[in-house]
Amino acid sequence: MSGKGSHRNKHYEKKNKVAVGEKAREALEQIDENSPIIKMFRQYAIELDDKHDRHERIVKLSRDITIESKRIIFLLHGSNVDLETKRDIILKEAAMRLEMLSKNFKSIATELKDMDAYQYLRAYTAGLQEYVEAVAFYQFLRFNELETWENLQEKFRFSKENDHPSQSEIVKLLFPATEFILGIADFTGELMRKCINSLGSGNIEDCFKICNIVKQIYIGFLGINPSNNRELKAKMYVLKQSLLKMENVCYNIKVRGSEVPKHMLAQIAIANTEQNEEIDEGFF
Amino acid sequence: MTNPIMANIFSSFRDYLSSEQDTREEIRVVVKEIDKCTIEILTVLQIIHQDTASTDIIHACMKARGLFEEIRKNFSKLAMIVPKGEYYRYNDHWRFVTQRLCFLAALIIFLEVGVLISKDTAAEIIGVKSDANEGFHLDLEDYLIGLLQLASELSRFAVNAVTKGDYNRPLQISKFVTELNAGFRLLNMKNDSLRKRFDALKYDVKKIEEVVYDLSIRGLKPGQLVPDDSKQEIKEN
Repeated sequence: MSGKGSHRNKHYEKKNKVAVGEKAREALEQIDENSPIIKMFRQYAIELDDKHDRHERIVKLSRDITIESKRIIFLLHGSNVDLETKRDIILKEAAMRLEMLSKNFKSIATELKDMDAYQYLRAYTAGLQEYVEAVAFYQFLRFNELETWENLQEKFRFSKENDHPSQSEIVKLLFPATEFILGIADFTGELMRKCINSLGSGNIEDCFKICNIVKQIYIGFLGINPSNNRELKAKMYVLKQSLLKMENVCYNIKVRGSEVPKHMLAQIAIANTEQNEEIDEGFF
Repeated sequence: MTNPIMANIFSSFRDYLSSEQDTREEIRVVVKEIDKCTIEILTVLQIIHQDTASTDIIHACMKARGLFEEIRKNFSKLAMIVPKGEYYRYNDHWRFVTQRLCFLAALIIFLEVGVLISKDTAAEIIGVKSDANEGFHLDLEDYLIGLLQLASELSRFAVNAVTKGDYNRPLQISKFVTELNAGFRLLNMKNDSLRKRFDALKYDVKKIEEVVYDLSIRGLKPGQLVPDDSKQEIKEN
């Protein structure tokens, strides 16, 4: 936030220094408050400031959501432990922290009440995607399934307290399906990390299982035509790379599994995969 | 683990995406029409740079106003295609052409009465609402960028007016653009497209000042005392 702020100030200073000709300077010095043009622009300035300020506030809220979601994901990666009770504690904490984030989303929804939320979508799409990623990862670990976009919509409906609690209003935050799918694409990245971690802790079964899930998600993405969505295209490419990496890991486990002691298998499988990758790079 | 929900996620997204693409296709068709008509208006108004009488300019304005009828029709079509509250989901399609139309409307108003077009008037000429709450509207930044385009056109107009022998025009333009410039300086801009376009305004202002200067040192400014001024200029140099 502070970074952006100072950036803005810099611009402001620059703006005042811009060399203007004699005439223009004269006009600036004696701005005629009664001129219709000046009156008009005073109004426009208010409108523009309102838009920019709202944008900044939403970006800030979104950034907080991104940071907390990333932390929750990190926490969830730690659930890769044998102890059932410890796993439960981690999942419970994650659930609670995800729940807390709805406060931030509610603030965004309130900012955008009665407005065209698409105008500000760019300000909070990052937070939204990261949140979807965290929720998906949590649900996958807890229930072994993902919630649909339609069901997730529920999380973005907030009741707004009024003076009269009986007639509380419902505020909804725009949550486009595209943002959901982009979040799911990011989620596969976490699955890949988990796959490799599982291997590291000797949990080879999980490794294959996760690889299969990503294969299914990949099939789903194949059915999508990303045409004019560059972000989606990029993420689908990354998804394919993650999948290939995982498939290579699985392959190495299968081929070398009997030759190497279990605790070293992880290193060898990953090392081999990385080798393959280097060779691959020439082809892109 | 075959997961029916997984299949569900993607099939519903496919539907979502394809319906969005259908809407975009519809929009594209209408915007194409608007584009075509906009170019026509632009061409008609280019007459200001040619060596013609001022009555021709008034004629061109009338003709351009007639063409705006078609623009308004198409914008009302567009307003029906775009769902309420989703203006900014699709506005990339008509953003550029709307800016240009604002410029053209502003040019017409300037030629006709010599004042700066207000956002309300611009919206009315284009056939959209000025207030976002009332429906398909004119975005403030698109309007402002249109005004900046006007300044560039006027700097060219000032040069060509002199060629034509019209020494009054540059003075009128100079006063107008100076005031416009003062107006823009009241706005706090972010580092966005409006700002980038605004940064070019100072060159237009400068160009127009140069034209006025050229006229004044040669005593060509209407109502100017010739010998006095030129003497002064020489001393200063």
